[in-house]
Amino acid sequence: MNRRSSGGSEPQWEGASTGSPDAGASLAANIAAEVTAFAHEVGSCDPVTVVGAQAHWDVGGTPLAGTREVRAPAGVWEHEPSEMTVRCGAGTTVADLSAHLAQTGQMVPLDPADDAATVGGVLACGFSGHRRLRYGHVRDLVLQTRHVDASGKVVTAGGPTVKNVSGYDLARLLVGSLGTLGLLAEVILRTLPVPAASQWLTGDGDPFAAFDLLYRPSSILWNGSHAWILLEGDPADVAAEASKLEPAGFAPCDGPPPIPAVGRESMRPSDLRALAGTGGEWLAEVGIGLVHRHEAVQAAPVAPANALLMDQLKQRLDPDNRLNPGRRPW
Amino acid sequence: MPVGYGRVVASEIEGAADAALLADLRGVLGDRARDNDFERGLYSRDGSIEGSSPAIVCLPTSAADVAQIVRICRQHRRPFLARGSGTGLAGGAVPVGRPVVVATSKMDRIIEVDIANRIAWVEPGVLNLDLSRALSPLGFHFAPDPSSQQVCSIGGNIANNSGGPHCLAYGVTTAHVAALEVVLPSGEITVFGGVDAEPPGFDLRGLFVGSEGTMGIATKAAVRLTPNAPTVRTLLLDFDDVSEGSAAVSAIIAAGLVPSALEMMDQRAIEIVEAFAHAGYPTGAAAVLLVELDGLGGGVEAGVEIVREVAERHHAGHVRVAADDAERALLWKGRKNAFGAVARIKPDYYLHDTVVPRSRLTEVLEKVYRIADAYDLIAVNVFHAGDGNLHPILAFDRREPGVDERVKAAGRDIVAASIEAGGVLSGEHGIGLEKRDYMGMLFSTHDMYTQDLVRETFDPDGLANPLKIIPTGSRCSDSFHQHVPEGAWV
Amino acid sequence: MSTASPVGEPSGTAGTFPLQLDIDSDTLASCVACGMCLPHCPTYRVTGEESASPRGRIALMRDVAERGEADEAFVEFMDACIQCRGCETACPAGVRYGHMMEVTREALASQTGYQPRLRRLAYRALGMPRLLGFGSRLLGLSQRLGLMRLIGLLGRARPFRQLGAMTASLPRVPVRQSPLIASGDDVWLFTGCVMDAWMRDTHRAVQAVIESTGAGVALPPPRASCCGSLHLHAGLASDTRRLARKVMAALPGEAPILIDSAGCGATMKEYGHLLGTEEARRFAERVQDVHEWLAERVDNLPSAAPGANGSAPLQIAVQDPCHLRHVQQAHLPVRAVLSRYFDVVELDDDGLCCGAGGAYSQQHPEVAGAVRERKVAAIERTGANVVASANPGCTLHLRAVGLDVRHPLEIVAEHLSAREA
Ligand SMILES: Cc1cc2nc3c(=O)[nH]c(=O)nc-3n(C[C@H](O)[C@H](O)[C@H](O)COP(=O)(O)OP(=O)(O)OC[C@H]3O[C@@H](n4cnc5c(N)ncnc54)[C@H](O)[C@@H]3O)c2cc1C
Ligand code: SF4
Ligand code: SF4
Repeated sequence: MNRRSSGGSEPQWEGASTGSPDAGASLAANIAAEVTAFAHEVGSCDPVTVVGAQAHWDVGGTPLAGTREVRAPAGVWEHEPSEMTVRCGAGTTVADLSAHLAQTGQMVPLDPADDAATVGGVLACGFSGHRRLRYGHVRDLVLQTRHVDASGKVVTAGGPTVKNVSGYDLARLLVGSLGTLGLLAEVILRTLPVPAASQWLTGDGDPFAAFDLLYRPSSILWNGSHAWILLEGDPADVAAEASKLEPAGFAPCDGPPPIPAVGRESMRPSDLRALAGTGGEWLAEVGIGLVHRHEAVQAAPVAPANALLMDQLKQRLDPDNRLNPGRRPW
Repeated sequence: MPVGYGRVVASEIEGAADAALLADLRGVLGDRARDNDFERGLYSRDGSIEGSSPAIVCLPTSAADVAQIVRICRQHRRPFLARGSGTGLAGGAVPVGRPVVVATSKMDRIIEVDIANRIAWVEPGVLNLDLSRALSPLGFHFAPDPSSQQVCSIGGNIANNSGGPHCLAYGVTTAHVAALEVVLPSGEITVFGGVDAEPPGFDLRGLFVGSEGTMGIATKAAVRLTPNAPTVRTLLLDFDDVSEGSAAVSAIIAAGLVPSALEMMDQRAIEIVEAFAHAGYPTGAAAVLLVELDGLGGGVEAGVEIVREVAERHHAGHVRVAADDAERALLWKGRKNAFGAVARIKPDYYLHDTVVPRSRLTEVLEKVYRIADAYDLIAVNVFHAGDGNLHPILAFDRREPGVDERVKAAGRDIVAASIEAGGVLSGEHGIGLEKRDYMGMLFSTHDMYTQDLVRETFDPDGLANPLKIIPTGSRCSDSFHQHVPEGAWV
Repeated sequence: MSTASPVGEPSGTAGTFPLQLDIDSDTLASCVACGMCLPHCPTYRVTGEESASPRGRIALMRDVAERGEADEAFVEFMDACIQCRGCETACPAGVRYGHMMEVTREALASQTGYQPRLRRLAYRALGMPRLLGFGSRLLGLSQRLGLMRLIGLLGRARPFRQLGAMTASLPRVPVRQSPLIASGDDVWLFTGCVMDAWMRDTHRAVQAVIESTGAGVALPPPRASCCGSLHLHAGLASDTRRLARKVMAALPGEAPILIDSAGCGATMKEYGHLLGTEEARRFAERVQDVHEWLAERVDNLPSAAPGANGSAPLQIAVQDPCHLRHVQQAHLPVRAVLSRYFDVVELDDDGLCCGAGGAYSQQHPEVAGAVRERKVAAIERTGANVVASANPGCTLHLRAVGLDVRHPLEIVAEHLSAREA
């Protein structure tokens, strides 16, 4: 069974949210049916893994042989532009989501390296995009999640509104858990207006000085000799900020080189400076502390007390280790 | 306001157990462990309307103190409860089960400001506004700005995942906490999260933020620094009609603007706020919107124009743009003191906190007024309209017989109306004791069971701030042997 | 770190005694416990203890009022309040904390043996100018002769402890002072007790500034010595009333009565309330802080001297005495006067008390010292070289740690005389 909506052919009831109360009710029923069907498919006994676009398939290890593959529901289900929220199936590709939101001048800055990636996949990995400097970590874009747990039941966490502190924040726990605690079925995300202007600049100036100079740039990427800086916002502001960068040796360009997609080395933002002059091909996110590499990176160890808690969380939420066996986020 | 709150006389058996516990705590803290009636009374409640007395009040000065307190509590199988400034509005810091209160107010050092990494390491008792003030000469601030920011503690902000007017653009507390040093309910000290980009493993930090002290006690936090905006404009719009005001809120957002703050006040709120702040709020208006735009000059000025257009379309009486910092500060002073100022009408208030979709604001507001009328209470509305976060305040006088029941019933109706409109239980004050029993309105039994499984991982013995957030009976685990004492809902 | 403890573990929690707190229930109920006052309370700031906060003290008063009895712990908690009333200006609910505390202190003083004998005696002396003058000269001499160390040593013995603490923090007191000379009858300059004995030069400067506007200054005879402010804070309201009558008799007529000590001004503006007579009310209306009077006449003040050989203008940090800012709400006029001549810089502590609090700094040196540290830090953050303070208590308290603190009008007077020279 393939629930992925391919290339914009979306479920019939999409967009019904603005219609009559009846339409709203049937929309809700349809979403519920999709989610329930997914829960049935996940079931409650054998090892399972969700397949998205396999854009991040090896992160944290690959599923053990014999693990059954399922696909999360797909489709942009509800988007109310004036609420700045969007509800979609976790199997929706980022490309589809972006295309849908673009119609009303909105976006969710997930920014995966390959936008064939699914929303669920991006969140399960917890990988923020290159504009994290401006828009924050991906987990802060998530408002509500529905996931299927190890017992095959649907669990809702968070809430549909832009602000919510009702109950424990399981949604944040799921982001970055690689599907080892539950399989995402549906998410509600916060949307943002697409900035009116956007400009990349590049040059060999000091990216750290540039960071201090600018007011909330969207991205600063650096490879040890050159930096690429993204400015977004009001056209006049983008122009003014760009002109501040010119004396520092930055000039407009089309964008950065492709971001290496294999290893993600995590360090403190201030430690990046020490990378200057080190070899290899890498691209670092200044202000964030992330180094993208072509080769795999050994993850930092987890403190024993935390490792114990993580093991116990896994133990409690998936006692039979049937959710994504073989993967481990630490 | 309860009279002489929480002077509780312990039974003899409890007395003996308390004495042994006190002796051990004194061994660590000396006279910073207190059991006199007066002080136990003082720590028996928070900003909510609930109260119940603790056994002992501890005033630690270090993480090591806190770890020792927690270990001693474990030995005595006694619950413990962290407390910041006691301004929480959901009863999170109300002692239940004769616990030991661990007040962090003496742990108030800003340990390190690390501009290179744009974080500050602080102790949990640091007051929110003190931190932003200390950062201000460096050009930064701590973005979450609850209206109580001059008094609430960073530890309390973290535990409640607090918001504030400016969280509309900047996000609530969890987005601003990089790492946390925590004393776990086991007594062990560990650090969740990190200053580095992607700390490995599950996001224990994210789980702890908002857990209202039920997963341990934060003893240090690395919070993110947000650069101060080069340009800020604050506008005050007044309306003859509340629904025009709420329609303007949606219109501003729909126009693609993300104001840094978008607050609304109704007529009663305007009057009491003006009486305190003398900020020139138009006391005749049915509603005002306080809109703040910040960022780089171009975007801000363009935004001001959009707000003006929206104001005109929705028949705003005036658009007042604060001329300078002093005027802006005065407008905010009014807004941020609104809750306390309610005492000018009645000596007690019950402050609600629900969120509804922006498009349903008008409708839910009308319901709130109707509910208050039905229970013969006064409703005052001053809230974070930009994110649909309602704060209906029910003003009352506790000395009126039977008023408590009416206040609680009205509160329940307001919560139900919000959820019916597609909203949630709490936008920023948390669940605590007050909304615990409403959790079922939003979550299924299985949802709550799952949440409790997660909580239990951190605190299998149920000693950390017990009986908060999850209603009793969500799990049949033996951690639920305690019950909310009769009279905890004073 | 706030490790100071206002009282530590209260000593005698066992014995209770009856206490009638005559605060009406609406006033008691008016606090909604929102906590907005906490950061504005100096004793909470340095201790982090609920019992040392306004919210806590009000809850305790409510408790005692309700039960009609109190204990030693209650007395100590109340005694640890500086009565700066920072909480009152911060309170959005309009809680009348100052009033509640005055009633509580009065109840304690009249119904219990609350005021230690020594303290009562000391206050009595304030009302006796000759005794005060003699005592001060004696003090000045003994400071010079090293006798203070002896008193300090004695101070370790129990009965002398308080005396020791009080004397140790006193400034160098003048042995001989030349008298002030009246110059007219446009305004009265109230000279007070301690201030006249120890800081007469301040009066001299204030008088000069008033005169520079063209007004003539009348001076009260010595019998108008003490306004009774310290007595009021200690709960000895009847003593204050007695002193008030003396003061009123000594300052007849319609001329404004100008005060250069914030504490005295706050109390004298309250005479109407305190005595409840029409005469007292009319008197109280004539009372003005000298800066309030001057601020209305800034244009009559001589203009600023052109920057002395181009040097930067003096940077002055303004320390607002609580009785000026929180009680009289008359702190802005100080700036109006100073900024005519100098570069005025603001402290970033919202007018938090400096810890002097009348006699408080002598009675609770540990807390007062910790409070002062915060103030000193705030002053240092401004980078200013001179601190202006319109209250003798604050001035002495801050000078004791080596700061250059002067009365705002002393700084102005100095500038004016330098300009003439
Ligand atoms: C007038 C007024 C206005 C307010 N406005 C807002 C607002 O705009 N937005 C908003 O979000 N809230 C608001 N609040 C609510 C309240 O101020 C916040 O929830 C605040 O974060 C609580 O901080 P506190 O230090 O007072 O915490 P407390 O009330 O002392 O404690 C709150 C919770 O945190 C836990 N806790 C405290 N410290 C720790 C720690 N170190 N480790 C673990 N747990 C801990 C406690 O156990 C308790 O569950 C307002 C309250 C008032 C009275
Ligand atoms: S005194 Fe005023 S500010 Fe302080 S807690 Fe009470 S109501 Fe709030
Ligand atoms: S008068 Fe001053 S010391 Fe006393 S409670 Fe108020 S703020 Fe605190």
